[in-house]
Amino acid sequence: MTLPRVLFVTGKGGTGKSTVAAALAVALSHRRPTTLADLDRRLSAATALGATPRDSTAVKVSDTLDVIALTPRAELEAFIERIVPIRAISRRMLRSRTFGYVTAALPGLEAFLLLERLRIMAGDAALEDRYLVIDAPASGSAVELLTVSSGVRNIAPGGTLNRLAGSIDSFLGDATRFGAVITTTPEDLAVREALETAATIRDRLGIATVAAIMNCVPDLIFDTSELAAISPLDGHARLAIRRNAAHEQACLVGPRFAGAGLSTINFPMLFTPAIGPREIEQLGRVLEAELLDR
Amino acid sequence: MMSFDLRAQKLVICLGPGGVGKTTISAALAVRAAVSGCAVDVMTVDPAPRLLDALGLEADSSDPVEVHLDGIRRSRRGGASNRARLRALRLDPKRTFDSIIARYASSDAARDTILENRIYRNLSGALAGVGDYMAMEKLLELAANPATDLIVLDTPPATEAIDFLDAPRRLLELLNSRAVSLLGAPAGLFRSQLRMVDIAARTVLAAFDRVTGLNLLSDVQSFVRSFDGMYEGFSNRAARAQDKLRANDTAIVIVTTAESSRIAQAREFVGALEDAGLRVSAMVVNRVLAELPDAAELTSARIAPALKKKLKRNLADYAALKAREEVSLDALRDSIPAGAVLMVAPDLGREPRTIADLAEIARSIRAG
Repeated sequence: MTLPRVLFVTGKGGTGKSTVAAALAVALSHRRPTTLADLDRRLSAATALGATPRDSTAVKVSDTLDVIALTPRAELEAFIERIVPIRAISRRMLRSRTFGYVTAALPGLEAFLLLERLRIMAGDAALEDRYLVIDAPASGSAVELLTVSSGVRNIAPGGTLNRLAGSIDSFLGDATRFGAVITTTPEDLAVREALETAATIRDRLGIATVAAIMNCVPDLIFDTSELAAISPLDGHARLAIRRNAAHEQACLVGPRFAGAGLSTINFPMLFTPAIGPREIEQLGRVLEAELLDR
Repeated sequence: MMSFDLRAQKLVICLGPGGVGKTTISAALAVRAAVSGCAVDVMTVDPAPRLLDALGLEADSSDPVEVHLDGIRRSRRGGASNRARLRALRLDPKRTFDSIIARYASSDAARDTILENRIYRNLSGALAGVGDYMAMEKLLELAANPATDLIVLDTPPATEAIDFLDAPRRLLELLNSRAVSLLGAPAGLFRSQLRMVDIAARTVLAAFDRVTGLNLLSDVQSFVRSFDGMYEGFSNRAARAQDKLRANDTAIVIVTTAESSRIAQAREFVGALEDAGLRVSAMVVNRVLAELPDAAELTSARIAPALKKKLKRNLADYAALKAREEVSLDALRDSIPAGAVLMVAPDLGREPRTIADLAEIARSIRAG
């Protein structure tokens, strides 16, 4: 499967975005050099890989994988330092309350600068033949982020900013350069939000959707007659039903995504006492088989 | 039994990261208070579709809607009360904002200036937490009703705890910012009144406008200026909202799940609130796995060995998840703020879809 240069991973809160982003980066790094850009201030995806990047500097996780932290705030600071070249003044301003007024006065500017940064990183990635995986914000904020450039085009009908927003828009709309991966769990609420997000991203924003990844799908170990046989074992029966129900629910979800034109990849529920680099590798192998080798 | 008394509160504010079931817990707490005899309003910002159905809310219910508690068992304490009722409403920030502008605007022209402002129309969501501020406004309106004993407020998902509670202050600061109005003044005119940082900020905005040909600055100023006559109204209400947050009968409840990343986020929330001088009354860990069955039952059970093996594997699998959960819960127990209680809400094993589901969660919330 030909994947876009930049994979933007988003989904409802609690569906395991960071785990999926980390696993995707690991899987891709087995094929090509890969950068994981963590947009989450808490750096969950980076932490899952055992890395703690700082100050927009890339940190190496393996020979072919590095991790970088990106924040809208840091992009804005860099922008301001470019405009106010006297460092003492720009530094003081960044700490001041006036700075708050500037950001309030230009809502969306931070997000806009972040998108511009991603566009430039994508260009570099194309030159170096790398992949870029983005651990994006939860779906609501992610859609807001992706909409900012068209918002900017509306308020700036001409000029440099309009041109910049235009090139961001064509970057986001180019399926060879940019695509969204949407995470969900078998739960109905998460599935609904994933379907809505996919529709918004593809139909309203014109951005390619690569796949839906369904996290936490337990394997099926009991059949119907077995469930009947254990029904007297109250607690054990409930636990068995719980596992089966989650599995069955996951089976019903695939067709719903397929109906919306999106293929689904299931991540197994990992019954382990912790999720660490080993578990991420394991999920990465699922992606290699189900996404990269197709 | 819960160790913090809902009946002693006038306001319960549920805060927490996205995806932890804040709306469910808010609704469950409201149901719990209502069945114990209180007159309760629950205000939610973006409820899940199923929950919307459960609460009998239409997609847009800016006015409180009575929720029917038929068939829900009344607690003995509250059984005799005829005050008991539950109303729910869903906040539409944009609509509330419009109505407030209409209420405080000095003239129709001032109102239209705001509503038609390019900045407000295109990027209002990003503007200084307008939506969050609106929730506070609605809250004060509901709180003014003497027939209501308790208001439960479900807040929008936030990455920073303080974002929501701090919204009135931030909006006021923007409206009152001398800097913003001075920034756009003709060069030289107010120079003497500007500090170095103001000049720097002005440089940035001016450069931005020059590079972009945008003239945003004038829009920002006209937006701020059109609030001129309204400033006092906003300011009074913001001060009242701040008082309300700090009142003795207001409880801040942080909702989380037992995943380690969510627990870490919840702990950051507590820290940020404490820094702002706000006290957390309770932390609710949602969707905690129920007690696991006894492995010994399997030894004596009369079932096929192969099936027994499967059951053992299933138990071991969930025991591993439970162990993962316990590690997070222990970390939380160690860092629970003084005076706050830890509570857990068990996972139903299904998504809550009806009032009965919410009542079941409400009944089973217990000290953790």
